[in-house]
Amino acid sequence: MAGPVGEAEAGSVRIRVDGVEYPVREDLTLLQALDGLGLLNVPEGVEIPHYCWHPHLAIDGSCRLCQVELTRPGDEQARLAIACDAKVCEGLVVDTKSEAVARAREGVMELLLANHPLDCPICDQAGECRLQDHAFDYGVAASRMREPRRAARKRVDLGPTVALDQERCILCRRCVRFCREVTGTGELGVVERGDRSAIETFPGQALDNPYSMNVADICPVGALTTKDFRFKARVWSLDEVDGICTACARGCNVSIGVARGRVQRYVARRNDAVNGSWICDEGRLSYQQIDAPDRLSSCLARDETGELCPVSLDEAVREAARRLRPLLDERGPGVVAGVASGHASNEDVRAFKTFLDVLDVDTIGLALREGAADELLVSAEKAANAAGARAVGFGPIEGLLERLRGGGLDALLVLGHDLLEGDVESPALDAAELEGLDTVIVFDTHRSPLERVAHLVFPVRHAAEKEGSYTNLDGVVQRPSRAVRPAPGVRDERDFLDRIGVALGLAGYGMDRTA
Amino acid sequence: MVIDDALRARIESEMRSFPEPRGALLGALHRVQEELGCVSSEAARELSEIFAVFPVEVLELVRFYNFFSEEPRGRHQVTVCTNLPCALVGANDLLCGIEGHLGIAVGETTPDGRIHLGREECLGACANGPMMRIGGDYHEDLDLAAACAVLDALE
Repeated sequence: MAGPVGEAEAGSVRIRVDGVEYPVREDLTLLQALDGLGLLNVPEGVEIPHYCWHPHLAIDGSCRLCQVELTRPGDEQARLAIACDAKVCEGLVVDTKSEAVARAREGVMELLLANHPLDCPICDQAGECRLQDHAFDYGVAASRMREPRRAARKRVDLGPTVALDQERCILCRRCVRFCREVTGTGELGVVERGDRSAIETFPGQALDNPYSMNVADICPVGALTTKDFRFKARVWSLDEVDGICTACARGCNVSIGVARGRVQRYVARRNDAVNGSWICDEGRLSYQQIDAPDRLSSCLARDETGELCPVSLDEAVREAARRLRPLLDERGPGVVAGVASGHASNEDVRAFKTFLDVLDVDTIGLALREGAADELLVSAEKAANAAGARAVGFGPIEGLLERLRGGGLDALLVLGHDLLEGDVESPALDAAELEGLDTVIVFDTHRSPLERVAHLVFPVRHAAEKEGSYTNLDGVVQRPSRAVRPAPGVRDERDFLDRIGVALGLAGYGMDRTA
Repeated sequence: MVIDDALRARIESEMRSFPEPRGALLGALHRVQEELGCVSSEAARELSEIFAVFPVEVLELVRFYNFFSEEPRGRHQVTVCTNLPCALVGANDLLCGIEGHLGIAVGETTPDGRIHLGREECLGACANGPMMRIGGDYHEDLDLAAACAVLDALE
């Protein structure tokens, strides 16, 4: 299909933008071409401001801000055109910095701002608002409006997740297109005409779909806000960290907003190879698990009365070795089993597999919670690293459960608690079935019914609290950055396993340990 | 169902005369407005099913055009054009005067349900403004007295 090596890609044309020549595909519009070259919305790129155009939505051409001067071969003079809807052609010359372009942007901004409320001090979008940014860059400071600004509804309840301020809306129709093109639910429309135009839902129908909060992400102004993040923090006080969502095997890219040491929100982060520009609402709100009240924050062990109580790290590690050593010596590794979790990072599942290999434990499996999938992003496997766990050798858990029920096991090392949840891949396991075991050691982020049978619990980090990589369902390996510090005592699985390995005197453990 | 079988059959036959069936939606809205007196949200929902569009797309049309109303209006739809050429020859004063004569504001219906008063965009009668439309009839070159005489003659 492609041309001979060394020649330009078939169907490619050369365009010149502000004096620099680029080869681009001829079936693209100017904005698509520049976006494909990675030149849009980056400091060293080509600056073409835009509101209505979005790389993953159909062209609307309504905001008029992306005007540039175009000269096509044969044109006698340059003309202003919107870059979002201008097809590229061989020899196209683009000027984004001319006087005429500056005047056009200024004019568009003046019209957009004519009725826009001066809400910025109380607007959630302030600080990440394209209108604010572009007004600063291209607008004029003073308004020529003598008439009172349009008054409209400030708090429209669009549905369970999103609120609308009609006064702030600039009618770019991104949200309307999102609901029609991406989710196919079509809840939103523009009603009325002229300066009375407003985003509206059909009477009795709410904006209510599994991806609804993306409309707040793509709203270039503060018109659409998520009820979850509304009035919660000023965005300029957020540290934005590149993370991934861990709610399912897709591994959607998110920007993690952190303030006061806590995660305040996830917003979708564009990655065309994984999630485009979107994330599902369930994934977006899954950040709430990081600071959930049922997070484990300390090692737990049984006291004399059998109660599970907080203990120090050293005590917990010693207790693990004290329980495992006689089992291994007297009954052998055959009575021990290891259950991996799709929530643990590649580094942690590998450390777990190595630990089990050194012990010679070969009864292993992957516990995975399954649920509904959809055609857009949501995967049936409700963990971020199921593929990574499989890659290091954790397979289906059926064999392990069979041995357990057959009475062939005495000890269980468990990452996470997906083993117990009702809709696991395999027949659900009741915690009571583990009651007969000599030793159950759990490594988990959150409290769970496993506590009823666990002898030892090690508190581990959420993906947002650690360094680690995750392999998504398509085999894409992603390495999110650490966004927040975990509570003291909350460590990586690999760290606990390393210490237990040392306490057990296992070969290869503790050699590099300096402290 | 508020759109009965006969009306539905008419709409569907009009759909067949358009290359894109949804091209007939505007006409269908006129049929519904004429026959049912308004395009209620039930009617809009039924139209959205007939045309296989989102309900809010029907609402967009209903609220964009002045011809359609979501609730029943009075027996006579009286609208005064207030676009620029009519405004320049006194359409707004005329509308004010009519409001006073009928005792209602623009957008309201007289308590007896006789007249609904509205404002209209350009009807193409610019040379004969100010003007008003009552149903399908144009009344042109109006002053307040002439307009009131026409209104009083309505049953």
